[in-house]
Amino acid sequence: MTDDGLVQQGLDDLAGEAAVLRVYRQAFAVLAREAEKMILSPQLLDVDEAILSAFAASGSDGLTEEQVRNACRAFPEPTVSRRFEVLKGYGAVTKVFERPNERYYRAAFAPYIMLLFLRRIAERGGQSELHQLLSLEHESVSAATATDADGRASVERLTQVFRLIANELSIMSLGADVVQLRENAQLLWGNEALIRRAEKVHATVLERWPSLDRECQWLRAGLAAYRDAIDAAAARLIERAGTTRALGLLPAEEWRTFARTADTERLGAVLDGFVFDAPAPWFDPQVMTEAVETGGRPDTARMPPPRPVGDADPTETSPATDQDTIRATVEDLLATRDFVEVNEVLRMAPDWAAARRLLAQLTAAHHDPALPYALTWAEGLDVAEAASPAWVTPGRLTRTETQP
Amino acid sequence: MTGPDETALAWARARAGGPLRVPVGTPAPAGMLRLPEPSGDGAWLVPQVPETADARVLAEMGLAGPLLEQPNDTARLLAAVLRCCWPDPLAPIWPGVTAGSAPVLAVFGELTGPRDEMAHRRSAVAALRRLDQAGWLLWDETADTIRLGPRVALWSGSDLSTLRQLWRTMPGPQPAPPAPEAAP
Repeated sequence: MTDDGLVQQGLDDLAGEAAVLRVYRQAFAVLAREAEKMILSPQLLDVDEAILSAFAASGSDGLTEEQVRNACRAFPEPTVSRRFEVLKGYGAVTKVFERPNERYYRAAFAPYIMLLFLRRIAERGGQSELHQLLSLEHESVSAATATDADGRASVERLTQVFRLIANELSIMSLGADVVQLRENAQLLWGNEALIRRAEKVHATVLERWPSLDRECQWLRAGLAAYRDAIDAAAARLIERAGTTRALGLLPAEEWRTFARTADTERLGAVLDGFVFDAPAPWFDPQVMTEAVETGGRPDTARMPPPRPVGDADPTETSPATDQDTIRATVEDLLATRDFVEVNEVLRMAPDWAAARRLLAQLTAAHHDPALPYALTWAEGLDVAEAASPAWVTPGRLTRTETQP
Repeated sequence: MTGPDETALAWARARAGGPLRVPVGTPAPAGMLRLPEPSGDGAWLVPQVPETADARVLAEMGLAGPLLEQPNDTARLLAAVLRCCWPDPLAPIWPGVTAGSAPVLAVFGELTGPRDEMAHRRSAVAALRRLDQAGWLLWDETADTIRLGPRVALWSGSDLSTLRQLWRTMPGPQPAPPAPEAAP
């Protein structure tokens, strides 16, 4: 569960970064000098921010390029230099005095405002900026000093905004896949308030300058198109959600808010009608068909790696065979008796090596729980000068139970 | 007899152990399917959840279900059992008929293609064991016979029509005397 959570979070972050980057690229599009010269990762913006904050902390003397690089040493130096060049090229960072060999630079405040603005847009998806824009427009058309030119400009701007949004949405709801639609679903939320505010601006303008009715009509058409596009997109999302249980229909924040604020009954109601089956694998007939259809083909069975010739695989059969050998040997020694003296056995052996092998087998018989033999050792040492093992500790091999 | 407690208990048992074998005359608790044994000796209770809440929801939501080893071989063996124990695909799938393991293994061999005899036998037995444990088939190891398990009753109507098509594409068990190599 935690693993899933981590993975999910990672994906969310990635998606979030991608969304941020998309908005940055869209917003910078009007600033870029040529195509394909856009920043490619949100981290570069962090570098910009670090450079600008270094300047903010520097006071009125400005900074040399080396000081900037030192202040931004948390980032790779080549990256910082490159971003510094870019900022210089765009005039965001300029020399304190315009003269050759000037080493001190100062930063303009506008780029930083732009950065803040972008970050806000990226966080809220541009919704709240649109709201504020509408408020500002309303302020300006309501101001006592406003002229009909202001009103016309204001209405035209709003018409453009809503037309663009409506076009984007309706093209997406017609042609794009659902994933893409869902990503842009933020355009669907809170739209009623947006439309209401726009209508307020519209009403104010129309009341103050009735001559602008043509422009106001365009704004009305733009708003209507936006509303229609929302309906179409929402209908398509809801239709798909019915068949796929797409939890992504709502943004993750909505789910989080719901999970935090809902009471127990409401949370529990989500699982009403859900009963979980015993955890046995399920066989889908489709999957079975596929398995059967792919079955006849010679599959890529994994071959064991080549082994040196002659290295026969003894591991599987050896324990049983060993046991049998040991049992046979020990039974040979015991014959009909129930015990046998170890020194007798060892002295019977033809040479020292054979005696050693015998001793090994006796010990093995003692230690094998499956075999009914026990080996007990006595004190002392039995020495015989001429015998094959010259000295032997007396001991005794006993059969612990009668063999069938 | 089937008060809320009984029902909850039966569900909990089924949750833990899969299909339940119950003696004759036990009524089915709410939401459970009662499958009489063909011999008349007792019945099986299988939890039947709506299609919108069963294991395929997991696949739809991209979540991992219970881990199944050798999923392809296991599915092939289930298909082979289906071919041998469901003599008439137009009849209900439960209870089916009992089949010996030799014809099932022969059909399984047809499905898997040429393989080493030992490997074939080993994968078949492993799949039999897995399916038996999950209630997809009933394997009587001592009598060496195989039947369809109570869980097959959970396949829906559309699932069954897919299975019927699968049934028709598969080679049937040999009616001739059992192949000598099928029983090593």
